[in-house]
Parts: sequence; structure tokens; C-alpha cells
Amino acid sequence: MKLERLTQAVLGRPKLVIGLVAAISIFFIAQFPKITIDTDPKHMLPEASPVRQYNDLVEKDFVLHPDVIVLGIVNKDGIFNPQTLKYVKDLTNAVRQIPGVIVRDVDSLTTVENVFSNQGELIVRPALGDIPDTEAGLAALRKSILDNALFVNRFISPDGLAVAIFIPIEPTANGKEIADKIRAMLPKNSRPNQFYLAGDPVARDTFGTEMFRQMGLFSPIAGLVMCIALWFMFRNITVIIANMAVAMISIIWSMGGLIGLGFPVHIMSSMAPVFLMAIATDAVHIFNEFAFRLGEGQDKRKAILETMKVVALPIFYSDVTTAVGFAALATVTIVPVKIFGLVVAFGTLVILFMSFTFIPALLMLIPEKHILKLAAVHGKGEKFSPVLLRLGGFCVEKAKPILLVGIVLFIVALAGLARIHVNNNMVHWFKFNSEVRSADRVMNKYLGGTSTAYLVVRAKNEGAVGDPAFLRQIEGLQRELEKDPLIGKTFSLADYIKRTNLVMHDDAPLFNRIPDSKQEVGQYLFLLQSAAKPRHLDNVVDFSLKTANIIIQLKSWDADTMKSVIGRANSFFAAHPLPEVEDFKPAGIAYFNMVWDHEVLWGMVSSFLWGLILVLILLVFQTRSFLWGILSFLPLLFTIALIYGVVGLIGKDFDMPVAVLSTLSLGMAVDFAIHFVGRFQQRYKEDPRLREALIWTVARPGKGIFLNAVLFALGFAVMAFAALTPYITVGVFMAAIMVLSSVMSVIYLPALIQLGRQKLIKRGGV
Amino acid sequence: MRKILSVAVIVFLLLVNIFWTENACAQDTQNAEAVMNEMLLAYYYPQTDVKNEISMRIVNRQGQIRQRRLTMLRLNQSPGGDQSYYIYFHEPAEVRGMSFLVLKHLGRDDDRWLYLPAIDLVKRIATSDKRTSFAGSDFTYEDVSGRALDADKHELIGEENLGTYSCLVVKSTPQRPGEAEFSYRKFWLDKTTHLPLKMEHYDLKGKIYKVYEAQEVQTIQGIPTITKAAMKDLENERSTEIAIKNVSYNVGITSEIFQERLLRRPPREWIGE
Repeated sequence: MKLERLTQAVLGRPKLVIGLVAAISIFFIAQFPKITIDTDPKHMLPEASPVRQYNDLVEKDFVLHPDVIVLGIVNKDGIFNPQTLKYVKDLTNAVRQIPGVIVRDVDSLTTVENVFSNQGELIVRPALGDIPDTEAGLAALRKSILDNALFVNRFISPDGLAVAIFIPIEPTANGKEIADKIRAMLPKNSRPNQFYLAGDPVARDTFGTEMFRQMGLFSPIAGLVMCIALWFMFRNITVIIANMAVAMISIIWSMGGLIGLGFPVHIMSSMAPVFLMAIATDAVHIFNEFAFRLGEGQDKRKAILETMKVVALPIFYSDVTTAVGFAALATVTIVPVKIFGLVVAFGTLVILFMSFTFIPALLMLIPEKHILKLAAVHGKGEKFSPVLLRLGGFCVEKAKPILLVGIVLFIVALAGLARIHVNNNMVHWFKFNSEVRSADRVMNKYLGGTSTAYLVVRAKNEGAVGDPAFLRQIEGLQRELEKDPLIGKTFSLADYIKRTNLVMHDDAPLFNRIPDSKQEVGQYLFLLQSAAKPRHLDNVVDFSLKTANIIIQLKSWDADTMKSVIGRANSFFAAHPLPEVEDFKPAGIAYFNMVWDHEVLWGMVSSFLWGLILVLILLVFQTRSFLWGILSFLPLLFTIALIYGVVGLIGKDFDMPVAVLSTLSLGMAVDFAIHFVGRFQQRYKEDPRLREALIWTVARPGKGIFLNAVLFALGFAVMAFAALTPYITVGVFMAAIMVLSSVMSVIYLPALIQLGRQKLIKRGGV
Repeated sequence: MRKILSVAVIVFLLLVNIFWTENACAQDTQNAEAVMNEMLLAYYYPQTDVKNEISMRIVNRQGQIRQRRLTMLRLNQSPGGDQSYYIYFHEPAEVRGMSFLVLKHLGRDDDRWLYLPAIDLVKRIATSDKRTSFAGSDFTYEDVSGRALDADKHELIGEENLGTYSCLVVKSTPQRPGEAEFSYRKFWLDKTTHLPLKMEHYDLKGKIYKVYEAQEVQTIQGIPTITKAAMKDLENERSTEIAIKNVSYNVGITSEIFQERLLRRPPREWIGE
């Protein structure tokens, strides 16, 4: 066996090996200062993806800003008082001074023109100009603003309790930094006025910043928890150092490599350190076996060699399957997921390599007295825990009832799987009471919505958008969309034309509609061009009147809401076909989220299936038997079915973090079965008494399995205290996967081997 | 004693120095204001009246084009004072016959009327905002009819040659900050004709965002006249080119045609089809 030779070579020059590893690590550490981060959900899809390209085109053609911060001011007594109005005015001016803000395109009641009719005159002036100081003046202002349908739900809530300022920022600007600067400008002691900051860039960049804080906090805590657990298991500092060193080396090499190659760190890859730390606990099998061997009185060098001999294959295969499971993520189109998969796969291979080089070298260098202590702890009482021995006996004797319980659980899990609901919501990545999520909730309560989508409706011919029938079609579509309570506001050229028709006819309600002639529409449009900023009209219609853009505000970041937009649009066009309409296409951040959500799901499902097949092939290859391969595969399948069954049963959305976990669980949940089967087969070869061999496997390698699982679970469980929900999800899930798969492996494998002994033992050629 | 004397001399010299500098500054501002006034007169007030035909070509980011063609009649009530404008649109076809009447007043809001042939309606427009777009172009209302001299503080900041023209460069900063989209503008004024050959808009953070450039100057009836110009919006990647044709000065336009009721029946002696 080549791996053994490698270990032998290492044992000859332990110091050289450690020195080399340290030197390489320093090279990778040197890459860290080059770190860049990227939290833009749009970068989830590759640059060449049609959705991203079309979205860029829509933003370019309609002069739309992709990144807009929304500053909301809520006053429960109504915003039409001099104080609140002054805040609106002053803040609109103040935010424009912030670097990164697109100065000219900040929109609020003070920057948009209000066109209204007053005693037969057409008044064109800023919606909020000079602030009136009389009650009558305030009442007139209130009426002029709330009467304008273009403003309601966009700039102001229908009840006049909330106003919004839209602050577009440069694509390169950091939304959180700008949000922080805005927060610093907000007046203090301004009750009953309350200020809220929402919008995609705030959520995204706050998440980005928070992500690093959380990882900076939880990686060390996870490490510390594992150290403490290791201490209780082995009571030996060297073991802890060795284990942690392996984890650190794999983190440094893989993250350093990622950064060095110039890739930005995304939310996914920021979690890689915790995963690698957990995977590194695989080394526990080495220490477990090493301690047993020392306890049996072998000399150090021989104990190391013997240990490596027995654990080499299980460790090799379990790490390779883990790496394969992660590498399967590379088949996904979502860029950050792909990178994450490759980073962790690489890190896992580093761990594998360290297991055969660095760890033996370190064990070789342990001073004798420490080894004696380690041996003493294990050698003192009995070699086997009585609990595990009893468990082993129980599994072998009660194989049938155990299997029956398993089948029942599996059926329940399948029922849960059927109820899984796919959805993703970026704002829900924050906790319910976090500033970002609270602001989003309040803004969505009062105004049209913080998430944006576009529906671009294209006509067959130039000029067709100016056709009254076409505009009525758009208007009808808008009314249909607004039936969904989560679609809070839609606006389009139709709204502008209707508004102009109304105002030109001195607010006679009869004229609150699209006019009847194309000429009328054309003249209103011409008029509008002189009364609005050119950009505002460019947002909703192109010069050739061939494409119209409907801007849709959504009150929820759920992918489901966008699905409702598309569903309603489809059924509307099917029910009201208009020959002039060529097609319609969605765009905008809400659509984007929906698409990558969908991509994540199907990408995950397909990479998961690939992963399953690859792992199965590896298992068959390792055990050199189809049946044994399937057998080793069952605990994995069972664990995954149970976990996702629970997800479906408790009604948790199958969102991005959960989807990604499915693939991750692959390589990890199979580890224990590999160790169990590998060690059982070795033992059975030495001593072909089935019952004893099974009980021995439960008791001895089983201990390593449970130690590994507990260590792993503890490391992840600390993430349950994170401030961001994806980390909580990952923490809880990984802990559950580890505990479940260890239990499945240690309980079901002996039961199944016992039940299928005739076929397995004969045909398996053990 | 000598010391005291020398100190006194130094103090005196310093005072003189300060006085001269301040005076020079004041003179500079005065000069700038005079130069800007000359520009306003040369650009917005040449002769008593004028009739011309303006074609506008607006190009957006997608490369799409909007065309406008209009006839403009202007009459000065007094040089550098109130003015009357009659604007009649010929193209695009759906707006043919739309017309604007503007009575521009110094020191108070203009009177404006609008005629919409599609619904045969004359409507008075009340607005204090002159920064809105002129007919959907990148020129604002103010760009077309002139901005009051005292709305800005003017400074002469240098001289520069633009091609063969030698120009004075004036920086104009709004007196009331925040009133306009720009924090200041820079003008390049031709020394001989006083015409604005170039103008730049700077936003609140001091970043340039809009540039005006005269592209052709012709002498018509002995009067230097800009006949081609462009306004480029650098941020929105939009631009508007205007071409001025059939310019005739002092054709005898009278105040009578600038009447609200005449919007329905445009004066055919001046406005053809």
C-alpha cells in the first residue's frame, strides 16, 4: 500500500514534514490581504446567463438604477406637519452629498414635479416645494399630493403616514456604508418621526459585512468548542493541537488559494472554514485507534504504523467521498455555490493529505510522557464502553424491530418530503427583529413595496405603445397584478397618460382613463416630456414607442411573489390577447431572485443526484461488492430522507441554504458507514464470528464514530446562535446530519448485516 | 523709532495690499457680471424680433432618435427686459399644431399658455420651475429662454481658446444653493461675439454631468448667430442636437400675435406648415 509507504517516509523525517507544511501555509497566508467580497445576488448567475444579460439591457435601455436604497419616514400622526416635511426636504438634500449616491437621480416628493389642475390652470411645480406654515396650506398640500395617483404608494402612503426617499447608488458603492452614513444624518429625538432604511443594497451589503463578523466570531468559537470536546475525549493537548492544526492548515490552504486566484468570497465560501473544521475531525479516528493501540502496550512508532494501516482505507474513502460530494457542486450554474464546492473539496483533500503526513509526523514528535498519559487514559479501565457493548448486542438481537421502526420513519419522512415548499427570501436571511428586516416590514406595511420587478411589454411595431388599445391593455394588466395583496404598486406609461388626461380636464372623474385617440396620447406624452425629468419617462417607455416598461413594487422578497406576477401576466395575456403585443418579459431584482432560486433548486437536485451516484460507485468500488456498497449507502439515504422530511413537516421553506446543504450532507453522512463497514470487514477477516465482530465494531470504531459525530455536531451547533438565519440553518442541519448519520450507521448497519448475513457474507467475499 | 516706523510701513503696505486685492476681486466680479450680461444680450436678445425654425434631434442610450421641428417667434419688449415667445410645433405628426405662448417677465414668474389641438384646449400653465425639460430634450426651459443674471454669482476664472475663438471663462454659482440641479456652471464666452460657445454643468459633488457646445456660428443679417448646438447628458447618455434654420431678424412681429386666443389660429404670415 502506497499510503503506508508515505507514512513510513514521514516517520523518518517528522521535522522536515512539519517545516514544509508550515512553509506552504505561510505562502497561502500571504494571499489573505488580497481578499475581496461579493454579496450581490445578481452575481449568483454567471455573467453570460441570458437572464442577467437581459436584465442589464432593460436597466440600460430604460435608464433604471439597479441599486436603490429606500429611506422611509413614518409619523403616526401624519407626515403633513412642518417638522416632518422639513426632514423630507433636508434629508433629500443631505443624502445627495454622500459619495456613491447618484446625486441627480435621488427621488422624493421634493424632487418630482406635481402636475395638477387648479381653477382651470395647469400647475407644474415640485410636489413638495416651500413648506406651508398654516393649517390651510398644509391641507392643500396634502390634497395635491395624495390626489396624484402617481405618488400614492410610491412616495407616500395612502393614509399620509409615511413617505419614501429613493436613493440610487453607484454599482460599485457599498450599500451598508452609505446606509450607515444616512443613519448618522438622521435627526435625533425626532419622535413621533421614525426612520427606516430598506432596499436591496442595504440588505445585501449589511449581510456581507455581517457575514464576515459572524464567521470571524463563529469559526473560532466552533474551534474552541471542538477543542473542549477533544479534551474531554482524549485529555491530551497534543491531540487537540494536531486536530486543530489540520483544520487550520486546510482552511489556510483552501481560502488562501481561493483569494490568491482572485475569486471574491461569497456568502457560501465564507462558511467553508467551519465545514473544513468539522471535516478535519475525521482525524479523530486516527487518535482513537492510536490511543487504543498505545493502551494495548505497543511502542509508539509501531502504534502509529499499525493505526495508519487499519484506518488508512476508511479515512481515504470517507474523505474522497466528502470531496466528491462537494465537488459535485461544481456542476451547478450558481457561481458562489460552485466555488464553495470546489474550495471545500480542495480543503478536504488537504485534510486527507495531512492525515497521512502531518498527523503521523506530529504523533512521532509527541514527548513520551504525553503519550503515556494518553495511553493511561485509555488503558486504565476497560477498553470498551459497556454502553456501546450493550448497544451492539441490542442491534444484533433486535434487528427486525429496529428495521421496522426504520421503515415507519422512512414513510413519515416521505410524507414530509412531499410537502416541501421551495422559496427564497433574502430579507429573511436576517432575524425577525433585526434592523434590516424590521425596516423592510414597516416600509412594506405602509408603502407599495421594497422589492422591484419590471415587466417589459413589447409591441410588434414602432409607435404601437402610443395606441390607446395598447395602453388599456397595460392598464388592465396592472389592475390584474394589483389583485395580489403583495403587489403593492405598479406604474407605467398608462398611469402618466391617465393622469394627464384627468388634469387637462380639470379633474373631471370621467377623464380618469386612457384617452380615445392616438393623437391625444401623443400630445399628452409630449406634454409630459416637458413637465417631468426626461429620465422618468425614459423609465417607462422607449423613444420609438415600441416597448413599455411596467415598474412593479412588491411587498415581499419571496420568490413566490414574483411567480405570482408572471402567473397573473400569463393568464391575463391569454384571456385578453392583443394582436399588437409581440411579447412580454420580466426583469428586475425580484425576477432575478426568483430565477436563481429556481436554478439553485434544480442545480442542487441534479448535483445531488450526481453526487449520490458517484458516492454509490465509490462505495461499491471500496467494498468491491454491489451489496456492501448499497448497504454502506443506506444510512446516508435514510439520514437525508429524515432531515428533509422534517423540513417539509415543519413547513420550513426549502431556500438556498437548505438546498445547498442537501449536497453537502452527501459526503459527510456517508463517512461513518464507510468507517463502520471497513472496520467490520477487517475484524471479521481476523476473527470470523459474526456476532462478536459486529459488537466489537459497534464498541471500538463505533466509539470513534460517535466521538467524531459529537465533535462535528458541537462545532456546528454553535452556529445556531448566529445573527443571520442561513448560518443558523446550516448549524442546526449539519449537527442533525452528523448525529443522525452516526446513529443510523452504528444502529442500522449491524442490524442490517445481521439480517442479510447469508447474502452479504457469502457473496461479499469477506 | 526706526523700528516703529518700519512696522508702520509694513502695516500700511499690508492694508494697501488687502484693499487692492479686495478691489480687484470686486472688479473681477463686476467684469464677470458685465460679460455675462453681454452674453445674455447677444444670445437671447439679438435685435427686436426674430423668427426661426428649430429642428431638434434627441438621441437616447439605445441610439433611438426623437425628432422635433418647431417655429419660434420672439419679440423683445425692451432690450434685456421682458420678452414674448410663440412656439409652434410642426413635427412629429401627432403633435402638429401644438403651441406654446410664453410671456417672459424679469423678476416674476412667466405667463405660459399651451394649446392642445387633439382636444382643442387652451390651458394656462402656472409654474415657477424653469428647470424642466424643453419638449423632452436635454435643454431646459431656462436654457432656451435664458436664466436671470442675478440668479447666479459670476466669476471670471480665466481665458481659453476654443479652436479659433478666444474665450473668457466664467463660473456661475447659484445664489440660492440647492435651487438648481447644478452646484455651478462654467461658460466659455467668445470675446468678439459674446456668444456662449461651451457650457458645463457640475453637480452637487462637483462632478461634470452635462455639456453644451455650439457647433456652428453664422452671421445672419450681420448678426452672429449660433445655428447648431448640442447638449449632452453624460450620465444618462442622452444628447440633443439643435439646428436653427430660416433665421430672420427684425421681420416686424408685433405684440398682437402673442395672445392666448391666437393659439388656436396661429399667425399664418409667420408660421407656415
